[in-house]
Amino acid sequence: MNQIGFYFDQSRCTGCFTCSVACKDWHDIPAGPVNWIRVKSFEKGKFPNLFLAYLTVACNHCADPPCVKACPTNAITKREKDGIVVIDREKCIGKDECGYKCLKVCPWDSPQFSNELNAKMEKCDLCLDRLEKGQQTICVEACPMYALDVGPIEVLQGKYGNHIEAEGFLNNDKIKPSIVLKPKK
Amino acid sequence: MIDENVDVDEDSEKVVNTGCCHDCGGRCVLKAHVKNGKIIRIETDNNEEPQIRACARGRAYRQRVYSEKRLKYPLRRVGERGEGNFEQISWEEALSHVATRILEIKEKYGNSAILFVSGGGNQGMLHGVTPVGLMLNLIGGYTRYWGIPSYEGALFASMATYGTIMTGNARNDLLNSKLIIMWGWNPANTVWDPGTSLWLAKARENGTKIVAIDPIFTDSAAILADEWIAIRPGTDTAMLLAMAYVIITEKLQNQLFIDKYTVGFDHYKDYVLGHEDGQPKTPSWAEEITTVPAKIITKLAREYATNKPAALIAGWGPARTTFGEQYSRAANVLCAITGNIGINGGYASGFMRAYYSRESGGSVGKKKEGPIKQMDEKYKPKKPRPQDNLVDFNAPPRKEALYKLRGGTNPASTRVHFNDYYNLILQGTKGGYPADIKMAYICGTNRLNQYSNVNKGIKALKSLEFIVTHEQFMTPTAKFADIILPANTFMERNDIAVPWLGSPYYIYLNKAIDSLYESKSDLEICHELSKKLGIKSSLLDLPEDQILQIFTSPRKDITNYKKMKKDGYYKVEVQEPFVAFKKQIEDPENYPFPTISGKIEIYCEHIAEKNIPLMPAIPKYFSHEEHYDSPLTKKYPLQLITPHNKRRTHSSLHDLPWLEEIEPHAAWINPIDASIRNVRNGDIIDVYNDRGRVRIPAKITDRISPGVVCVYQGAWYDPDENGVDRGGCANVLTKDSYSPGGSFPMNSALVEVNLYHKNDLEGNL
Repeated sequence: MNQIGFYFDQSRCTGCFTCSVACKDWHDIPAGPVNWIRVKSFEKGKFPNLFLAYLTVACNHCADPPCVKACPTNAITKREKDGIVVIDREKCIGKDECGYKCLKVCPWDSPQFSNELNAKMEKCDLCLDRLEKGQQTICVEACPMYALDVGPIEVLQGKYGNHIEAEGFLNNDKIKPSIVLKPKK
Repeated sequence: MIDENVDVDEDSEKVVNTGCCHDCGGRCVLKAHVKNGKIIRIETDNNEEPQIRACARGRAYRQRVYSEKRLKYPLRRVGERGEGNFEQISWEEALSHVATRILEIKEKYGNSAILFVSGGGNQGMLHGVTPVGLMLNLIGGYTRYWGIPSYEGALFASMATYGTIMTGNARNDLLNSKLIIMWGWNPANTVWDPGTSLWLAKARENGTKIVAIDPIFTDSAAILADEWIAIRPGTDTAMLLAMAYVIITEKLQNQLFIDKYTVGFDHYKDYVLGHEDGQPKTPSWAEEITTVPAKIITKLAREYATNKPAALIAGWGPARTTFGEQYSRAANVLCAITGNIGINGGYASGFMRAYYSRESGGSVGKKKEGPIKQMDEKYKPKKPRPQDNLVDFNAPPRKEALYKLRGGTNPASTRVHFNDYYNLILQGTKGGYPADIKMAYICGTNRLNQYSNVNKGIKALKSLEFIVTHEQFMTPTAKFADIILPANTFMERNDIAVPWLGSPYYIYLNKAIDSLYESKSDLEICHELSKKLGIKSSLLDLPEDQILQIFTSPRKDITNYKKMKKDGYYKVEVQEPFVAFKKQIEDPENYPFPTISGKIEIYCEHIAEKNIPLMPAIPKYFSHEEHYDSPLTKKYPLQLITPHNKRRTHSSLHDLPWLEEIEPHAAWINPIDASIRNVRNGDIIDVYNDRGRVRIPAKITDRISPGVVCVYQGAWYDPDENGVDRGGCANVLTKDSYSPGGSFPMNSALVEVNLYHKNDLEGNL
């Protein structure tokens, strides 16, 4: 399998939210709780000695995704070809019926649910529609800082190194997130 | 039929190459995916580098076009001004009414009674204010403004010091700097031409040290800089003077450069060392004023003077203060005395334009060199041309005006400072103003919201006989109009946009969809209205693209108009990064600076001759009646600043859900100031002074200096029955004054904060 994943350069992210808005526009997601890619901020220190970093969090398309195991209806699967974790919304029985089992096991809150009654799970699918046409994801093409990249994880590691640390990012060796990070120091 | 300028996607979606053109620091590529006449998605530039990538504002544009709040048809006011009660009327009725009122007022009071309240809400060449100005010129002119809130201080200082606004270096030249000082400059939020933050990041990755000076730990300070120096608002001039003190007393100035390229250093030195007023401008003196520790000022001065080349980039925000032009002048002078001008990796500060794309057609490629004579005859045409306004044609200059000022600040004495419009309207010729205003023609601006002293503005707008506006939404300003003409958005028309500051590219905005509802373009409105005003034939009668070709024909850098229209952008090939004043430095004999002296004017003789006490010939630090040390601080102890945030462009894009959730509107306040007022994060607070009261949530954060409150400008004024603004409009609190050099005091207001009521918003801010 040629696992596809994310690269995120935290040292460059200015928290402009362009990735997030571009994602919502492309996938036609209204404002509200559903964010396939989120921009989180981490503030430390006291005036005037401060530290601020942003972290984008989408789905890390883990090598061993716990959401796949947790789903009672096998609605979440990992694609053989590229390791992208996808959701079959026909099979998803909804958050209230299931009790957010996928969300509960995800360290990054990647499964997203709208406020609708028994909303079905949705999440980042690495813009499969674009990927299949040979295009880059909408967030990568959007980032004005070129802080995001998506590609085969080995290629990303070759380009950017092997790091999986960044401010605010909790790594999990067991499930192996498909991500390369450059932390803000 | 398939338009040749449209790429057809395989799913019968067409992709229309267009762009984003509100008054932000950008002008970026947008690619609208259109299906069945509707925009369904937006992409940005994914072609060759350097890409002109849009930010979140442009990416959210679909929500603006299809907002339920769009104005759908012409409206006539039925309630009181400001109430917002209107009835639908036909275009025929609306335009006939507007024409009748304009002609009546012109007949009865003369053209000077017509006030054109213009603004930069649309930054295309063709739509927005352009056709309105043309139309009003053709009926004999109108009273208009001088002074631009964004940059008037920087403009004045640039012209006084360098005689030009072309004072910036290209962004990729930042890679050549050893040190970059971002002074009151937050390109992470305000863009400053696309790619600016990216080049700063690349420079830093390349080993350049970056220092940010700002009362707020901005995204730029936090992410792009190595070091943040927190400074008290409005005291930047004092810190710059103290840096000059260190440089001069430690003999770190570039004396050869000073001797060869500047005039008046000794005057400045006398003031800095205290020979003129008995007060040496030492770092300790500045520490008292700025709150910046003297040792930090000293260290930065040494670093700046010895790490060459170094780029001091003086943002416009600190010049949006009372006496803001002094800050810009002081920054320019620091660039000069260290010899960081005209070299790769250096920077002259000033207005900071680095390419000609924004210059009016005729001047492109015909850069005038050398000293310019005072009152150059070139600036005084003998006969009015169509673009000349008869109300101020050949009027004598204002006494404060520098001999040449561009950027909307023509020095005619018939012009009124933009922040003084309400006094003009309320007082007229009896108050010493050049006209008695009877009507306002408002276009491209949410005027009431975006200029100082909203409550005075309400009185002024209520006093007028007639108000008409072109609008897309029911803004706080539109609520005061008698007739509202619904304008379409840039997705519904063709236009060309130039980069905000002036980079080497153009954006062609191809029309993506037909006008929604009954809306019309500004050009269509003016074309139809001009007929009713009796204008027989004019540029307004031509098709959009034909006018655009006329507008762009003098621009020698657009060598392929068809390609620009097809691609939606035109990236001009530049041989090497532009460096302002390179020729002036390398060959001063043949290329003097375009000032009267032909040199960089540290001391400006031209200003000295005017003999205006608070407009000195060298940059000086002044306090004022709403400064941190004024007696008014007993009543209003906090300093208000009103910068731009990342989710709006001024007041445009205010209530788009995708942008609103990025950063809910709130007043930023330091924990120290909050705790003594018993305010917790998310509580609703009143921010107030004698001019008004704003009621908004508090965001308590160490990212803002103690003693400072920040209300980001642009949120829409929304008064309750007592006139308390629940919308969080910063200009309810700012003062409608201006400095001799024209600076607007948007960051110079004193306020107090009270807890209004507890709230459980905590966690949402």
